[in-house]
Amino acid sequence: MPFTMNIIHNPSTLPIRTESLKNVGIVGIPPVDFIRFLNERQVVIHDLDALLTKADIETATAYLPKVYCAILRTVMLNGLHLNLDAIIIDVGPGKCDAAYHVATILEETVNIPVIRTANEDMIDLGTPVCRTRMNLLKKFKTITEGVKSANPADGNFPACKPAAGFWGVPPRDFSILSLFPDTTHIYGWTRCMENKTPANINLESHYNPKVPTVFFAQSFCAKTALARHLATRHPQGLYLDVDFSAGSSAKAKIQAFLELTGVAL
Amino acid sequence: MILGDFGTSYCKFLDQEADAQPRIIAASDFPRETRVVYGTGHNGKRFSGQYVNELTALAKGGEALIPEEDFVLLDCGSRDLKFVQYENRRIKDMGWNAECGASMGFTIELLERYYQLDFKKIRVPERAFSVTCGVLGMSHIFDAVINDIPVDVAVARFVKGIAINAFRFAGSPEKLYLSGGLCDNPLFVQSFPCEVVCLGRFVLLEGLKSYTNPE
Repeated sequence: MPFTMNIIHNPSTLPIRTESLKNVGIVGIPPVDFIRFLNERQVVIHDLDALLTKADIETATAYLPKVYCAILRTVMLNGLHLNLDAIIIDVGPGKCDAAYHVATILEETVNIPVIRTANEDMIDLGTPVCRTRMNLLKKFKTITEGVKSANPADGNFPACKPAAGFWGVPPRDFSILSLFPDTTHIYGWTRCMENKTPANINLESHYNPKVPTVFFAQSFCAKTALARHLATRHPQGLYLDVDFSAGSSAKAKIQAFLELTGVAL
Repeated sequence: MILGDFGTSYCKFLDQEADAQPRIIAASDFPRETRVVYGTGHNGKRFSGQYVNELTALAKGGEALIPEEDFVLLDCGSRDLKFVQYENRRIKDMGWNAECGASMGFTIELLERYYQLDFKKIRVPERAFSVTCGVLGMSHIFDAVINDIPVDVAVARFVKGIAINAFRFAGSPEKLYLSGGLCDNPLFVQSFPCEVVCLGRFVLLEGLKSYTNPE
């Protein structure tokens, strides 16, 4: 089958029959117009960046190298095992080059349409969840669930004074989040997620130099470069990369960093 | 109050009321009913009233033992590498390499015993093997030995490779404070391409002391 390199910018021009769509997988954050389009048709959205199947991750190894971004290996795993009608994948500056190639592999592997989009939305929808007092794991779940909706998260999220910072993408292994206090502010691409502007590099690069911050990236992700760069610029920054799951040394680094920088837990 | 550093190969204990110096016991030999008030180390959680993670203990030990404003302290253990970097007496960076630094101290001790070497008598070689961890580095030694390189030279190249690997892991500082049992290995210490100040194997215990006297 020939590769399809078209990038679809408008959901009304989707090259598929949209009336029959019931379950659609998304990779990264497709433009708000696409999410609204799916919401209006009551299509169930599955965030393929998150672990949605109990299938062995090794089944993805037949299609992607073992040493590869754990998020995209998870995307491949979900794509292989979920019953979807289509996949919409952001291959623009808000995601990564690797997603572009994964789109090609998905297209050749799964027997459903794989739609490439490029999210360059720049309308700020706000980042209150990133800055509120809430269990960090719950904050991340709220934000990642939010990618399925065209609207900001429901609720009142008053800003709190930050004790610590977490910069980066939502980790593949959420267990590291339990190490942080509830007053941790979220920065980086996750903040862009909540704001629904994943390609906003200025927002992604923002950090608070007064707050001890862990700069996190998935191992083998291009964002490791930015994470490490910003960590060196931050007066109290710790660079951390983790692959599929966080080992005891990664968790110990976070615990030690928070304790040694005086963060009250 | 008893403090314990439960390392992979050796455990170090300090009874603050009874001991003038810490005691060292092979990890395989210490009584399993042992309990300490504050403990650290790979194997310490089961035996400690309060467990302090190894990086924190190392950093606190460095704060207590090193007077400089800026310093890098590297702990080379049996199983892994850890470092802390301080700038203006504040933590600047840290690392814990449990995978690529795997088993380096353990492997060096294993080689010493297997080949019956005395590291005090072996000169630092000019060349080093490019090794990333103890386990993977072993094959370099075997290859060298079957190519008629004397065992002591081959092992010395391995040890130097390990030291260079550890040096780079710690950020290639001009001056390095070294913690751990490998402080007693002159071949290892002299293989670093920088000034090395050996603090010995009780730095983590020193760090635990800060919990008994927070002032």
